[in-house]
Amino acid sequence: MPINDEARVGFYICHCGHNIANMVDVTSVAEYAAKLPNVVLSRDYKYMCSDPGQEMILKDAEVFKLNRIVVASCSPLLHENTFRNATAKAGINQFYFQMVNIRENASWVHEDKELATVKAKDLVRAAISRVVFHKALEKKKVPVNPDVLIVGGGISGISAALNIANAGKKVYLVEKDPTIGGYMAKFDKTFPTLDCAACILTPKMSAVLKHPGITLMSYSEVAAVEGYVGNYQVKVTRKPRYIIEEKCVGCFACIDACIFKEAKFSDEFNEGLSKRKPVYIPFPQATPQVVLIDDKTCIHFKTGKCPQSCAKACDRNAFDFDQKPVTQELEVGTILLCTGFQPFDAARAPYYGYGRYPNVYTSLEVERLVNASGPTGGNVVLRDKTRPKSIGIIHCVGSRDEKTNKWCSRVCCMYSLKLAHLLKEHTDAEIYNFYIDMRTPGKGYEEFYDKLLNEGVHFIRGRVAEVSDWAINEHEKGKLVIRAEDTLIGMVRRIPVDMVVLAVGIEPGKDAQDIRRVFNISCSNEGFFLERHPKLAPVETFTDGIFIAGACQGPKDIPDSVAQAGAAAAQALALIDSGFVELEPNTAFINEELCCGCQVCINLCPYHAITFDETKSVSHINEAICKGCGTCVAACGSGAITQNLFEDQQILSEIYGLLVE
Amino acid sequence: MNASSSDILTQGLTVKLEADLDKNFGETIAREAHGEKLFGCIQCGNCSAACPLSVWMDYTPRKVIAMVRAGFKQEVLSNRTVWLCASCYQCTVECPKGIKITDVMYALKREAIENKVYPKNFPVPILARTFFNEVKRTGRINEIFLLTIYYLRYNIFKMLGYASLGMKLFMKRRLSLFEKGMSDKKEFKAMLNQ
Repeated sequence: MPINDEARVGFYICHCGHNIANMVDVTSVAEYAAKLPNVVLSRDYKYMCSDPGQEMILKDAEVFKLNRIVVASCSPLLHENTFRNATAKAGINQFYFQMVNIRENASWVHEDKELATVKAKDLVRAAISRVVFHKALEKKKVPVNPDVLIVGGGISGISAALNIANAGKKVYLVEKDPTIGGYMAKFDKTFPTLDCAACILTPKMSAVLKHPGITLMSYSEVAAVEGYVGNYQVKVTRKPRYIIEEKCVGCFACIDACIFKEAKFSDEFNEGLSKRKPVYIPFPQATPQVVLIDDKTCIHFKTGKCPQSCAKACDRNAFDFDQKPVTQELEVGTILLCTGFQPFDAARAPYYGYGRYPNVYTSLEVERLVNASGPTGGNVVLRDKTRPKSIGIIHCVGSRDEKTNKWCSRVCCMYSLKLAHLLKEHTDAEIYNFYIDMRTPGKGYEEFYDKLLNEGVHFIRGRVAEVSDWAINEHEKGKLVIRAEDTLIGMVRRIPVDMVVLAVGIEPGKDAQDIRRVFNISCSNEGFFLERHPKLAPVETFTDGIFIAGACQGPKDIPDSVAQAGAAAAQALALIDSGFVELEPNTAFINEELCCGCQVCINLCPYHAITFDETKSVSHINEAICKGCGTCVAACGSGAITQNLFEDQQILSEIYGLLVE
Repeated sequence: MNASSSDILTQGLTVKLEADLDKNFGETIAREAHGEKLFGCIQCGNCSAACPLSVWMDYTPRKVIAMVRAGFKQEVLSNRTVWLCASCYQCTVECPKGIKITDVMYALKREAIENKVYPKNFPVPILARTFFNEVKRTGRINEIFLLTIYYLRYNIFKMLGYASLGMKLFMKRRLSLFEKGMSDKKEFKAMLNQ
């Protein structure tokens, strides 16, 4: 066994109550460890992580003049920091500590106590032979830039931006659409209180615009991100509006003057239920109040033969038809991603006839229909302008379905109830809700369901099999027939209605994968951004300094999104106010004398931490970006790269310890 | 009921057409049973689980509520559930939404008698009618008269099985051959007709 004469190892094995002691003979491991070379002291104790356990390390280090500590207990994820701190308190460099996981790796996964004990001894021997070659290392401190980038201007982004800016920090809010507000701006009322969505959202939107601490960059996208926690360099591409934002006052004279006398292009904000002109503003309260030109429909951009009546109508000379995309560079310390979701495309569920039958609507379209500022001014009429006398609302469209999306979208039950209420109020039609399970977990939600039950809305428990126009009697003629099993009554029912509303679910945005790559974070299986821990770190990501909030992390309603935005803002502020970040010293470094300049490592590094120094013709690793994955170390043909805490001697003696008794 | 029921496509199948439903049925029953809360039913099934007789019912009380609410008049009125209800009120006591289920059952019984759609040859409705008629006729119940009329209407042979029990009761003077009317039948009838 490799020996380092100077090393004096103190070894501790933890019972972890019964967790370890029941399956591993801890006293025999302790006795065994005591006989290993370099080991000065070996003890077993009930709970090493407790205060007395840590105190024991402190006292022993002084009495026995220890300079290496090994603790065999649980996972380093749980208590490595605890014992590193105890080691440091004992006056020993914290990287002279090594942890052995004999709980997850031995006691919890084995059924034979004898063999589990043998395995624990092997693991302990490996750790002890490694720790003697550890080196004293220091954690690096890097200052944190106090500016924050928030991507996405929906309700999550808006809330987070206001939270952070109100704390006196500078915020850049980047939104890909011409206006902030997100999906919430399209809603009529919000469940379960039936607050008017615009009334509670638009004050927040204008607060964002007016806040001296917030720089709003609408119609912009993040193109690239470099750097590391506390020091990110961000490139933002600003798409051309063909309007000089600072000059436009939102008088809309240009819209009236447009050569198109009638609006004839599909209006995205109204889900295509109305028309707009090539020069337009998404909706009257859009923030910023700046018009834009859609260059795909504008005659000037298509033919170049437009008299530009819009520009002539503008008395502020705000038009600039030569605008090009502009890239702006920002320096920020932390990033919040609030990029939201996209609604499920109802055409992917062809059995419900969306796109085939004109009277099948998505829930978002109906949100616009019931909205007083919507395409019909809140008058709920079908495409042929008649008022529906019966309406079927189908839940779980694109949710809880192996063929589309497996997950429950969490908001559909509640918004379907809300729409049922609003449609009843607007049309006094017979309303049928078809649901698989009614999911109303939230403050005041179940009460809202109760209210709807008593309002005379029909609830039929069963997933709708199909919507068709095939009538089998007079009663069904000219109607859409919904076929579903009423599972509570035990009969298949055919229900003819005038209007079908598809409660489409929530799925990851179509650009979620691109965003993930730009910001170097992970996605879970479904494609939502992955949080660091589902319970204990729900707004953090595996990339330090990047936080997530809202529906980009998973389906969420407005209150939950706002709460998460607050949590993410608090995490960002905590990072900013601590002033600096401590970086793990397990980074790699290059011996410039050995480096041949082949640059193999540069392409392999997943964190873009390696750059090439042209003058010296060698590669260089940025310690602050390096995560210590070791890929470059293994790939380096010249053996020029070394990684702290994973030096060859340390790894080889660990393997030796593992294999040789 | 409706012409569409005879449609060849649906005859004998379990598909239920909206045209065959009575849309006002739920509200009629709710009104009769002081049961505005009927529509608040969340179909938890507590009533069926609490009911000591639900194991013999064709539709459990939970299902009856669902059918009443959805307008399945024909099915609800012609099933045995309402007639098996022993009025123990266990369902009403346990209902988390405060629905007076036993009252709903009474309302359904009345509705079934009025519509004459109660199950044929099922003893409970026959007994109920006979009981009511006897009370109406004399103001009191005489067990021998009641049971004789009941079994004549239901199934006279079944009465023979109870002959020895009847004899024993008669010997212990629990059954009387004499009718005991009440003194003021006129007032009583006026009360019934109110």
